[in-house]
Amino acid sequence: MHWLKLERRIAIVFVGLVMLMMLLMLLLVQRSGEQIVLAEAQRQLAAGRMSFQILVDQNRRQLELAASVLASDFSFREAIATQDRPTMLSVLNNHGSRIGARVMMAVAPDGRIMANTQQPRQSGAAFPFAALLRAAEDNGHSSDFVRIADGRIYQVVVVPILAPVRIAWIVMGFPVDNAWAHELSQTSGLEVTLVDAASGSLLASSLPESRYSALTQSAVSLRDTPQQVMLNGHHYHSVVVPLGQQARGILLHSVEKSEAVFRKLHQTLLVTAGAGILLFIMGSLWLARRIAGPANTLAMAAQRIAAGDYSLPIAMRSQDEIGQLAASFENMRLGIAAREQKITRLAYEDSLTGLPNRVRIEDRLNSLDSTTEATIVVLDLDRFAAINDALGHPVGDQLLQQVGARLEQQLPPGQMLARLWGDEFAFLLQGMDKPTVQAFAQTLLVALRAPIEVRGQRLDVSASLGIAFRPADGVDINALLQRAELAMYEAKRRQCGFMLAEEVGPGPSPEDLSLIGEMRDALERREFILHYQPKLDLASGRVTGAEALLRWQHPERGLVPPGRFIPFAERTGFIREITPWLLAEVVAQAATWRREGRAMVLSANLSARDLLDPGLVALVRDQIEQHGLPPEALCLEITESALMEDPALAQAHLTELARFGVKLSIDDYGAGQASLAYLKSLPVHELKIDQSFVRSLASAPKDAAIVQSTIALGHALGLAVVAEGIETAADLAWLRNAGCDIGQGYFIARPMAVSAFADWESGKRAATPEPGKVAVAVKV
Amino acid sequence: MKAFCRTLAALACWAALDAGAANIEVIVKTAGGQPVEDAALILEPASGNVPKLKTHANIEQRDREFVPYLTIVQKGTAVDFPNRDKIKHHVYSFSPAKTFEIKLYAGKPAQPIVFDKTGEIAIGCNIHDWMEAHVLVVDTPWFAKTGANGVAHIANVPAGAYRLRLWHPRQKAEAEIKRIELTNMPQKRMELALDVAPRAAHAKPPADAGY
Repeated sequence: MHWLKLERRIAIVFVGLVMLMMLLMLLLVQRSGEQIVLAEAQRQLAAGRMSFQILVDQNRRQLELAASVLASDFSFREAIATQDRPTMLSVLNNHGSRIGARVMMAVAPDGRIMANTQQPRQSGAAFPFAALLRAAEDNGHSSDFVRIADGRIYQVVVVPILAPVRIAWIVMGFPVDNAWAHELSQTSGLEVTLVDAASGSLLASSLPESRYSALTQSAVSLRDTPQQVMLNGHHYHSVVVPLGQQARGILLHSVEKSEAVFRKLHQTLLVTAGAGILLFIMGSLWLARRIAGPANTLAMAAQRIAAGDYSLPIAMRSQDEIGQLAASFENMRLGIAAREQKITRLAYEDSLTGLPNRVRIEDRLNSLDSTTEATIVVLDLDRFAAINDALGHPVGDQLLQQVGARLEQQLPPGQMLARLWGDEFAFLLQGMDKPTVQAFAQTLLVALRAPIEVRGQRLDVSASLGIAFRPADGVDINALLQRAELAMYEAKRRQCGFMLAEEVGPGPSPEDLSLIGEMRDALERREFILHYQPKLDLASGRVTGAEALLRWQHPERGLVPPGRFIPFAERTGFIREITPWLLAEVVAQAATWRREGRAMVLSANLSARDLLDPGLVALVRDQIEQHGLPPEALCLEITESALMEDPALAQAHLTELARFGVKLSIDDYGAGQASLAYLKSLPVHELKIDQSFVRSLASAPKDAAIVQSTIALGHALGLAVVAEGIETAADLAWLRNAGCDIGQGYFIARPMAVSAFADWESGKRAATPEPGKVAVAVKV
Repeated sequence: MKAFCRTLAALACWAALDAGAANIEVIVKTAGGQPVEDAALILEPASGNVPKLKTHANIEQRDREFVPYLTIVQKGTAVDFPNRDKIKHHVYSFSPAKTFEIKLYAGKPAQPIVFDKTGEIAIGCNIHDWMEAHVLVVDTPWFAKTGANGVAHIANVPAGAYRLRLWHPRQKAEAEIKRIELTNMPQKRMELALDVAPRAAHAKPPADAGY
């Protein structure tokens, strides 16, 4: 809306100025018009007054002339001279009607009326206007406006009748009435009114009758100099003219008449000014639009840019300042667009491999409709950490680049490959059904089988894949990635190449996830504790060792079972932080008990990650040496599956540990795929039969056979055989008979805290006469 | 007959001179001291015995004026109105002492007008308003009119008691009649006052104007 304001503002300023000018002009015209009207009115009044007086004088002279003509009529004179009244009256009547004189009189030189047409019978009465006679005597004639006996006003003239000396006066009177006033009004251009000099009462007027009373009221104040007067709202200029002794003439000039001309001029001017202003408004708007329009275009372009739309070029061809501004805008647009492209690339691209990054794949997936099918394939290199540690990060980075390139070669058109982090890659596949995806996973595994050469070193790499389907396994990227990663870990664990998320299950619940989150704090707050489960020498019935089992005393949840958190600790790798603490605890406890006279072998469990940790050997050695514990007093239990993650490295580490003197035990034997040849090559001392076999001893004869043969096998290889999960006396008896060396289980004793274990052990020792050796077990 | 009469009158005068006669000279002035022309000076004998001397007079119309302006005649005098102009005149009088009219005429009218009644007669011309003449008809042979210098002479007036009357056609007021006694003195001088109005403003137009 701002452009509109600008446009309006320009228009308003321009139009305002013009209107002001017009207004001033109109005011000026109005003012000078008023002055001109005033001057014109006064001029017309003066001219009218002059012509009025001339007319009155002319009338008088005509009357006098008429009277003189009559006065010189021989017969009339004869009638006068001979006092012939009937003839006198007749002549007077005759002449009076000839010239329209209403009053005709003959007056004797002594002032007596000889004949009067108005009162034919009267004679001998004194002529009432002696002054007229005197004036006529002095001047030869006289005139005045006088009221005659009938009450009306007349313009009266008196001339002598000479024969040749004066023998009488002739008096002639013309009526002064509205007709008279109208006649004078027409000739003079003024309104003519005659009023009585003494009373001010109106005698005759050319004015409309409706203004009589207003005029009579004002009459007294009127002077013989021009002045203004309002009559019933009508504006007049007035001047008073004395007319003889008894009357005054009031001459009025209607200002409105003069104004009318100017009013017309004014109207014309107003119309012209209005049209001019209208034209100016249109012109100003046009001009303002020409200025504001491009500004508006620029503003909209700027808004588009602000909204992130850089696609439309700003085209403005004008050469003026706006055009230059537009060019600057265009440069800015291009610059911003280029920079944003770069930023977007950086934001969505993995800088190491040039592949899309996690954000990009997230965006792509999130842009999909919630029902759209898609597949997430997570790929993680096996043993990459070891390669990185052994050969250094630069080699690791180059390896990742080459792996990325090789995977990209397998990427079907329209699909997406991203590097999530570290050695983890992810595919986002669309429009591929399950068998196709599985086939694709297989091709990926095959593609990575060929060795990769980095800095002259040929590296054998393999990878594990997890596959999650949308929307069956989840809709949003986090859910899908998590499911795919769980499947990937499982595949890694099973060394089976790839697994589908649906085969692995949904993974940790939200509660699990919060547990995982709390594990780190738990370590710091010392919420992890160790319980010990006795290992019983079946032959002697003595306690020869104990397996340290990790417990989590959660402040709110209470005792958290190991099955709830240890798998997550392993998967997340947090186990590598727990293990050092656990080893230190176990070693310290073993040393303590040894000093107390409880010479037992304490077992600790190692995860696959622990086993592959290059620092493992050093860590174990440090702890043992620190507490001055004989190395053979510590037994490390490793599951068969952990061994199989990287059998070679496991063997290397185990060999080293064995050389140092630590005892080694293979846990959960029978659940994994370890070959007997491999087992044979390992420097272990103990074989722990998987609990599942022990528990079903009584019910499943086949399991009993497996246990029987395993015991035989162990003995054949020179290993002590341990059975876990002994829950009944029958099982215990069977195992003793079968030649199993060491037993462990609820039937013997539950895992116990340190103090409880010490009490239990003391009691057991008291009940068992012969001191024996130590057995070992660790379960985490 | 006429000649006879004239002779007779002359004889009478002579006789009067014999009985002792006087000359009277009067100067008439206005109150302001201006000499008054055309003032009539009349001596009427107290005895009432008046000889008839002159019986004829002329009032000419010359150059569209009556000449003279004032004519004093003894009762019974016949006055001719000879027209010396090329145009006609219409002489009239409405005065009660002698009302007459001589309609448009040229030359000398056939009959004179006989003024047989004393009085003042104003004479005009009906077609020339400015023309004005006055005739004073008196019942005495002793009269005179003042000239431009305001002086009038009456000679050979027999001694005796007289009423001295002063008159003027435009006098503002009637003058008082004086009684005087004339003795056989050669000259009697008097100074009299009379206010006179100016002549009416009937301006005479130029002759070629067609009037």
